[in-house]
Amino acid sequence: MATTASFIIVSRNDIPIYEAEVGSATKREDAAQLHQFVLHAALDIVQDLAWTTSAMFLKNIDRFNDLVVSVYVTADKSVRCITLKAFSIRYFLDIFKHTRLMLLHDSRNDDGIKSFFQEVHELYIKVLLNPLYLPGARIASSHFDTKVRALARKYL
Amino acid sequence: MKWFSVEDVSNLWPTVKDRFDERLPFRRASLNNKTRNPVFVENLNAEFILTTDSRLRSRFPQEQSLFWFREPYATVVLVTCEDLDEFKTILKPRLKLIVQNDEREWFIVFVSRAHPSNDNAIKSAKKVYDRVQVEFSTKKRERCCKFDIHGPEALFWEDLESKIMDCVRNTLDRRVQFYEDEIRKLSEQRFMPIWNFCNFFILKESLAFMFEMAHLYEDALREYDELELCYLETVNMIGKHRDFGGVEHGDDHAALLNPGNKPLSQIVQDDSFREFEFRQYLFAYQSKLLFKLNRPFEVASRGYSFVISFSKSLTSHEHKLPFCMREVWVITACWDLITASSSQYKAGLVAPDIEKEFYRLQGDLFSLGRVKFMRLAYLVGYGNDIERSPVNSASLSMLPWPRPSVWPSVPSEASSEVLEKEKLILQTTSKTKHFGIQRKELPLEPTVLLREANRRRASLSAGNAFEIFDGSDRSGPDGSSKSPNSQKKAGVSMSRTFSSPGNFEGSPDRPMRIAEIHVAAQHALQETISDEDLWKSLSSVEEFEKKYLELTKGAADNYHRSWWKRHGVVLDGEIAAVCFRHGNFDQAAKSYEKVCALYAGEGWQELLADVLPNLTECQKMLNDQAGYLSSCIRLLSLDKSLFLNKEREAFQAELVRLAHSELKDPVPLDVSSLITFSGIPGPPLELCDGDPGNLSVTVWSGFPDDMTLDSVSLTLMATFNADVGAKAVRSSTAMLKPGRNTITLSLLPPKPGSYVLGVLTGQIGQLRFRSHSFSKGGPADSDDFMSYEKPARPILKVFKPRALVDLAAAISSPLLINEIQWAGIVVRPIDYSLKGAILHIDTGPGLSIEKSFVIEMESCANLSQTEPDTPNSFDSQNGSPTANKQLEQLTLEDGKINFPDWASDMDSVIWVPIWAKSDSLPRGSSSVAPPRPNMVDGMRTIALNLEFGASHNQTFERTIAVHFSDPFHVSSRVIDKCNEGTLLLQVILQSQVKATLTVYDAWLELQDGFVHAGQGDGRPTLGSFPLAVSPTSKGGIIFNICLGKTIDENGAEKSESIVNIRYGISGDRTSGAHPPVAMEYSGSDASRKDLTFRSVLVLQRPVLDPCMAVGFLPLPSVDLRVGQLVPMKWRVEMLKDLEDKEISKHNVLYEVNANPENWMIAGRKRGYIPLSKKQGSRIVISVLCVPLVAGYVRPPQLGLPNVDESDISCNPPGPHLVCIMPPALSSSFCVPV
Repeated sequence: MATTASFIIVSRNDIPIYEAEVGSATKREDAAQLHQFVLHAALDIVQDLAWTTSAMFLKNIDRFNDLVVSVYVTADKSVRCITLKAFSIRYFLDIFKHTRLMLLHDSRNDDGIKSFFQEVHELYIKVLLNPLYLPGARIASSHFDTKVRALARKYL
Repeated sequence: MKWFSVEDVSNLWPTVKDRFDERLPFRRASLNNKTRNPVFVENLNAEFILTTDSRLRSRFPQEQSLFWFREPYATVVLVTCEDLDEFKTILKPRLKLIVQNDEREWFIVFVSRAHPSNDNAIKSAKKVYDRVQVEFSTKKRERCCKFDIHGPEALFWEDLESKIMDCVRNTLDRRVQFYEDEIRKLSEQRFMPIWNFCNFFILKESLAFMFEMAHLYEDALREYDELELCYLETVNMIGKHRDFGGVEHGDDHAALLNPGNKPLSQIVQDDSFREFEFRQYLFAYQSKLLFKLNRPFEVASRGYSFVISFSKSLTSHEHKLPFCMREVWVITACWDLITASSSQYKAGLVAPDIEKEFYRLQGDLFSLGRVKFMRLAYLVGYGNDIERSPVNSASLSMLPWPRPSVWPSVPSEASSEVLEKEKLILQTTSKTKHFGIQRKELPLEPTVLLREANRRRASLSAGNAFEIFDGSDRSGPDGSSKSPNSQKKAGVSMSRTFSSPGNFEGSPDRPMRIAEIHVAAQHALQETISDEDLWKSLSSVEEFEKKYLELTKGAADNYHRSWWKRHGVVLDGEIAAVCFRHGNFDQAAKSYEKVCALYAGEGWQELLADVLPNLTECQKMLNDQAGYLSSCIRLLSLDKSLFLNKEREAFQAELVRLAHSELKDPVPLDVSSLITFSGIPGPPLELCDGDPGNLSVTVWSGFPDDMTLDSVSLTLMATFNADVGAKAVRSSTAMLKPGRNTITLSLLPPKPGSYVLGVLTGQIGQLRFRSHSFSKGGPADSDDFMSYEKPARPILKVFKPRALVDLAAAISSPLLINEIQWAGIVVRPIDYSLKGAILHIDTGPGLSIEKSFVIEMESCANLSQTEPDTPNSFDSQNGSPTANKQLEQLTLEDGKINFPDWASDMDSVIWVPIWAKSDSLPRGSSSVAPPRPNMVDGMRTIALNLEFGASHNQTFERTIAVHFSDPFHVSSRVIDKCNEGTLLLQVILQSQVKATLTVYDAWLELQDGFVHAGQGDGRPTLGSFPLAVSPTSKGGIIFNICLGKTIDENGAEKSESIVNIRYGISGDRTSGAHPPVAMEYSGSDASRKDLTFRSVLVLQRPVLDPCMAVGFLPLPSVDLRVGQLVPMKWRVEMLKDLEDKEISKHNVLYEVNANPENWMIAGRKRGYIPLSKKQGSRIVISVLCVPLVAGYVRPPQLGLPNVDESDISCNPPGPHLVCIMPPALSSSFCVPV
């Protein structure tokens, strides 16, 4: 198991909707913020990379000294509606913006991370299927949290 | 530089040299690259040198193969000759000798000096040149060209250039081939022990150099790339410990772009090169070539990865290198790369994505340099001037300290510096965050420097290291005290008791204090750093900040240009921090706002919580009240766990203080994030149109403490039409507790429709706040609004105007006119309370309310529930006593009745005593002229106006009609005329009311011309009283009268007869007419007061007595036939004596009228007939007529023109039509043929 691992789900609007420190190391008090910062900065890179590849799993996209950011980009699709008020026209654009599962980790176990991402993605889809869950809202389900932590123990 | 050797055979070179040199450099050439593909190169530099040149002579032959690239590419044999014999004997053998060395490319330039005017010379030169061509040119290759000094040159130069290029190409190909063969040979031996990298390097670099000279930079670059790969392999070979290098002075300054930094001979070591120098050397050449290829982007990108990887190697050799050598090297490398690549880079020449990437790399280089620079600054002791922001902390706290073999110690002469540093440290107070926010400051150090430095001092034993940690608990001002780890805390608790001056030169084993560490680092760095610029930047805090700002700005700008907005904006925040420290709040606020907008927009609250207080402070300094307040709100609306409750209370206190005191003008503020609201769960509040109401709204307050709102109002949006604005509802002051509150707002009467919640606005002191959020827990505003809609549950429904109450007349049957009657008004609330309702009653003309009597109000069973639409049911319902039957007497005040409470939601009847007056006497009708019912006569109106609703806002107006009528309708007829002239007059009384009427008496006052028969007093002949007349039934009374004259004493003539009827009435007010109100109150039957009804009867003497009668006597029974004579007979008879008539002549004029087409009249059509005036005289008039046509025809008519038609009864007499048969067949009409 990785000593440091910070997992975060970022919604299409770049809003973190789920955060978890899943590392085994005793948590430094300031670490959460730093991890957030690193992951947030990595969004810049994901945004560039996501268009260059069709792979969902982007491993080691950013490196921060010993810490590495890996990202799993989901393939969900959203329709954006643009209204031009001046012309009273509505455009519906298909815009692929992705939900991103991001992991800041120090382990090099790529396969494990990939499996972790895949399973969390499945969990996330289950959350999405919940009719009471608004897409883009914070995931507050404790069940989800428990499962994610279990997966982290298993794979990372 | 390419060389072409010139073999000047005929001593011509001095004369043509200038012309040859003019052609250089060659503008365009086609060469073959390493893969034998033609490549066009431009501006090929070259030089013509004589074979006798010293540069060519100094070579040792054995070196030639290795340094072949320096050899001339071609030999130009410059020759002239004008005599063929001379050529054959002297020149030819000499040339043969020169060109026999086939290794070298050569060609002959035959210079003709013949003047154009000299034909002979030209001819002979031509001859010689032909000869030269024959001798030296082959079919395969043309090796000769002719240069006419005096002739046109253009052709020759083209020829020459193509020849030279051929030679160059061939030479190059051959040499490349040679080098490649050599390299291949060497490569095959690579794993043999005798293999020498230097030889390989020389070959490779020669080849690369050659390519470079030929402007084949790509190939040259590839050679260097291969060389680097190969080198890295050899270097990393296990078991070979080589000197790394980098210990010489000046090595700290990266030379990765300076190929000539050190001569190769200094780099070489044994059979290889020192890594430090050689890798930089290789990279320098690579970047040089890349710049030549105009690819500064690649320089940056390769450079960045080179710096990273090289930095790693530096790390592994750090123990041998000077203190902080690695950091210094990285800084200088980054700076060099940035300067070089950006100066070479021309924007807009490359594809946009490359450009983006280039700027990103620049940003990366800037930030890499920035991080290392900060690390050095921290070591020197400028840690306090480095903002402890997430970005700095993230980059520094995960970056390990330099690991020198021995941490530098304080030089003996530096005691004063240490003192100074210590003073500085004491002076700097740790910054407090605004609002008293107590946050663990982010670390800038991976571990505590004090501990790290002391641990790395070789002379310090572990025991000593622990000694220094058990001092007092005073925290060091270097900021490291804020690190959370308890172990670290101990580490910082460096006791100041050590700091007695003069103690510096104590035992070397004594652990260093922080000031000492800084000074030691400073001295060590001074040793290390050779770059003046860098050292200057570290020499003072001001210089450090300048450089720091420069680097940060550079990184931020480049990140922005590369669209890495997050990186860019974060660094903007760092610039802001510096601006802030220097009091440039305007700039700081701008940058902080960007950062906050980024974090807030993407919802990274923890990061936002770090920056937002700074922005708030800036805004406070700038006196930007609106911004400051909104920042306070944002601080408050951040996740609760991010701040302590005390801090949140401080934010709120600040807000309230500003709102109530300092603000001069009202400031609008959006508090959507903090105050959210929603409707009360459950069905929406339902209101009727025009009603005010109270709307309860749940408001969640995010304030940590109670909040008093001076006013709250809420806008409601109508769902039916978005354009129609909103209705505001208000409430006065409200106190918001933290968490959930319920506020009741009073609604102004809204328009019908359903409403959803709009905006919550309100005021706190001078602060106008508004909130748009509907409920907590939902996601922040999302631009994906197709994915979900905001739940817009109607909160209020206002119904369309509908009947809320119904007023109706209780009874439809007529009441008694001219009597005080109860008029019932049914009040029927329709699902609506009539609490406190007021009824205005206004009677129409001819109707008045008897104020002397009270008004009664009684309940009736809910009609609406049972049979709502049939008011008739009222009657039946009323009969059955209901349990909650109410009866109340009310008084009328100013035409108003106040409803009692019990009547608010049940049906009730108001009984109003009214009196309809009618002055005219009712007129009876006779049997001759039947009565025409006239409803209008008895119709009276009552205008009702009901005010009801919570604030009497609802009104209901209705005018109800009350029908009044006389009890009877009187009609009369003469039943019989008796012989003696008496008439039996039947007076028929028809009841017009729904009540039983009892006639007690009746008498007739007759008009003139009629008298009562007998000695009657006008009473009916048969005393059958009392006579009861049921509703709608008739009763009759017969009077015996006769024609006659009475002389009235008064002499007044009565023109009308009047029938007087004394009657009683027994009826219920709920069904119609009833005894007058006064009577009810008077009590029992005994004192019953009979009512009198008078009605006019019109009696008329008979005026139309016909005095003659005309009769048509029957026709003979035989059929009438055409042409047959028919006697038509009429009988005229006098019916009475005609004394007074004018027509009383003896003769009566008659006239028979007939249609001449139908009838032929035989006899007198017109004439006088004698007729006695006596009654009963009669005469028959007979006229013969012949019908002329068959069919139904009108018979002739008899008229009496002189007699008034009214005097004739039965006029016209006779049948209307008679049937005429066709004539009987007659033989006389037959005509024999």
